Amino acid sequence: MNREHLRGLFSAKSARVNTNKGEEYYNSLYERCKARLEELKKLKPVNNVNIMEVLEDEGINRRDFLKWASAMTATLMLPASFTPLVAEAAEVMNRVPVIWIELQDCAGNSEALLRSDGPKVDEIILDIISLEFHETLMAAAGHQAEEQLEDAMHHFKGKYLLFVEGAIPLANGGVYGTIGASGETFEEHLHRVAKDAAAVVAVGTCATFGGVPAAAPNPTGAVGVMDIVKGKPIVNIPACPANPANMVGVILHYVLTGQIPELDSLLRPKFAFGYRIHDNCERRAHFDAGEFVEEWGDEGAKNNFCLYKVGCKGPMTFNNCSIIRYNEAVNWPIGAGHGCIGCSEPDFWDKYAYERPMADANIKAPTGGVEKTVDEFGLGLLTAAAVGIGIHAAFSAVAGKKEECEIEEGDR
Amino acid sequence: MRVELIEKIEGEAKLEYKFKENKIDFVKIVFPHYRGIEEILRNRPVWDALAINPRVCGICGHAHLFATVRAIENLYQNAGIDVNITEKAKLIREITLFCEHIQNHLKWIYLVIVPIMKSIAKINIDQNSFLEIQKAIVNINRVLAIFSGQWPHSSYMVPGGVVCDPTNLDIMQARNFLKNALYIVEKRVFENMAFEEITVSELEKSRTDSGKIFRFLKENSLLSIGKANDRYLIFGEHSFTKRVKIIKTVSYPVKIKYVKEKSQKSGFAKNVTYKNNYYETGPLARMMLLKPNLIKQLHRVYKDGISTRIFARVLEILFLLKKVEAHLNSIELSQKSYNHIKTEIKEGFGESAVEAARGSLIHKIWIEKNRIKKYEIITPTQWNLSNGTLQNPATAQKAMIGLKNSKLAELVFRTFDVCSVCTTH
Ligand code: SF4
Ligand code: SF4
Repeated sequence: MNREHLRGLFSAKSARVNTNKGEEYYNSLYERCKARLEELKKLKPVNNVNIMEVLEDEGINRRDFLKWASAMTATLMLPASFTPLVAEAAEVMNRVPVIWIELQDCAGNSEALLRSDGPKVDEIILDIISLEFHETLMAAAGHQAEEQLEDAMHHFKGKYLLFVEGAIPLANGGVYGTIGASGETFEEHLHRVAKDAAAVVAVGTCATFGGVPAAAPNPTGAVGVMDIVKGKPIVNIPACPANPANMVGVILHYVLTGQIPELDSLLRPKFAFGYRIHDNCERRAHFDAGEFVEEWGDEGAKNNFCLYKVGCKGPMTFNNCSIIRYNEAVNWPIGAGHGCIGCSEPDFWDKYAYERPMADANIKAPTGGVEKTVDEFGLGLLTAAAVGIGIHAAFSAVAGKKEECEIEEGDR
Repeated sequence: MRVELIEKIEGEAKLEYKFKENKIDFVKIVFPHYRGIEEILRNRPVWDALAINPRVCGICGHAHLFATVRAIENLYQNAGIDVNITEKAKLIREITLFCEHIQNHLKWIYLVIVPIMKSIAKINIDQNSFLEIQKAIVNINRVLAIFSGQWPHSSYMVPGGVVCDPTNLDIMQARNFLKNALYIVEKRVFENMAFEEITVSELEKSRTDSGKIFRFLKENSLLSIGKANDRYLIFGEHSFTKRVKIIKTVSYPVKIKYVKEKSQKSGFAKNVTYKNNYYETGPLARMMLLKPNLIKQLHRVYKDGISTRIFARVLEILFLLKKVEAHLNSIELSQKSYNHIKTEIKEGFGESAVEAARGSLIHKIWIEKNRIKKYEIITPTQWNLSNGTLQNPATAQKAMIGLKNSKLAELVFRTFDVCSVCTTH
């Protein structure tokens, strides 16, 4: 397999998102969003904070805020003319109640989102969204917390966005995860809280695809939210941890349009998961030039060469961390010299979490191919990428049937 | 029997109280969650543990990564393979580990301890403090991310060193972020940053949040509640710790082989003992080793009551901030980040210990046919939250026995920085 073929594969149309849907489409979307925001403004806010005031207290002026709004508009893949609407949406975000529940996980997503950081404005906005219930964060605890959840579900029936962090263990009748005094299983709990949600957002790879608890042999029978909740719009925001910017993006999109964003075949918002890591990687030029880190700490590492040969799974991983990065955009794994482990892909724990290139991983691909050495680099890579793409294709058939929500099938 | 649920601990815990003559006579601690990480690790290629293990805990992911790396390095060493970690890599590993501790401790004070104090009586710590501390946390996480790529969950440490190769600019940036954090902590948490010199009387007079917390405890007669067994353990070896047990104030050397894990009938957490005794691990243990003024004074009067335990954690923030600063200043950028290890090994055993924010974390790995045959993880919270008997209560149990109500017991319980995901894994 020569380099031309490889390059062709990695810039294939299959990975592309349609960022220009034509004037007519955007005009009608614009009108729809405007009407939606007018409606929201009439609603009583769930809490009495004025975001502009809070931002000003924090030393963020209108101009900074608009800068943020325009970046967010771009992130959501909307034309720049939507910026004022995005800003308005942020201001009425506290009209949309959010309930956050934590199931079988390590709490990493809560940590990533709510207890640490994220781009500055995002962080403040998340502070003031109407987070009606969050086990880790709220003041109430124990029995009192249970009552609060009941209240929020009742009061905002049919209106709240339900964020779910963590997988659902089904083995042995669900004994590996029970909650509250009644000993309700996570599955029962999820059913109950999801019932009256407007939409369910699964955050992190545990909630989306089962995550590390679902790693072979999956001792607790862990599955993702989409395996449990049916007949409801579901948005998956995988990655381990999920990027706070993408969580904000989903809420904002919902506030703005009243709908969940356009999803890919794995129910992931296209604005965030429409790209491969590899497509926007800062080391990509070195990949194309055939310059690789052969061993950590070598000259290649010093010169930020491509990490493929030390195990980077960027070519098979769909996510926007190469653009948004982490911890206030200070860095991201590839920036720190470690390859991507494909944490936003289903089964990454079994398929991609290898400290070596796919070509070296000795993985039995569904196509039957077993790759051996770096000598067979080209071939191995091709098969590996094809495996990644194959998984997408396979899921698209399943997921398409599963959901009756507004999902537009992509061009993948 | 009265059952209380404890939330806000990254999962859930159940406390089952038995009262006798209006006092807590016994408490059972139950964790209803389980993921089976040790089972998942079985039969995998050795290095896969590097991707799985940070995910044991969303707060101590770094410590788990570090412990995994050290366990694998120990495995190589036991097989006679040279493992040579440069000073630079050692410093960077500690910087990120200590940053993880700092941000954890800050969150613990402001998201866990202050709110529960507020539910007991009035305490004058306002929202602004929280917002500012949030900025300090963000800055600390930025320092972390410069080296590790992201927080939580990263993979930047590998057997042989670290994969990052920081430049001068990175170090300057890190120093800058650290300075911002230091400034905020100094203003809000402690005005006197001389870790060694702070005294009880200074603390009592302090206008910072630490002073407020101290006065809150004093005014509500809580300074000496929550006494446990006055026995401490440290296993992680770092630039300021060594393997010791401390009984009252005297320290003795210890070995991992005397650590025993045992399943319990109720819940998924396992009990942990050292030579059949329960010990406390964490910031208080570490401060009992360092013996700064404040801890010596508090311990003399209040033993291992909650005031000593709380201020050990607070004080450790200062200590670690300074430590990170010193480490940043002593990195030799010209050294290598990583030294390749010959990794051909089919069978063997390795163990490691790392100090996580909440105490000593132990990993053990057994290899057969180049695969993981068995992997054992013993977490800090298991030490502190084990269940003993009425005659021989474990650490947190002992600390809660004798209290008048469950609200106070919850405060005491939380001074151990409880974490459900870590305890059960
Ligand atoms: S480091 Fe990874 S994502 Fe970046 S160019 Fe290389 S293979 Fe692609
Ligand atoms: S670079 Fe890869 S492994 Fe890392 S966070 Fe992004 S998707 Fe996950």
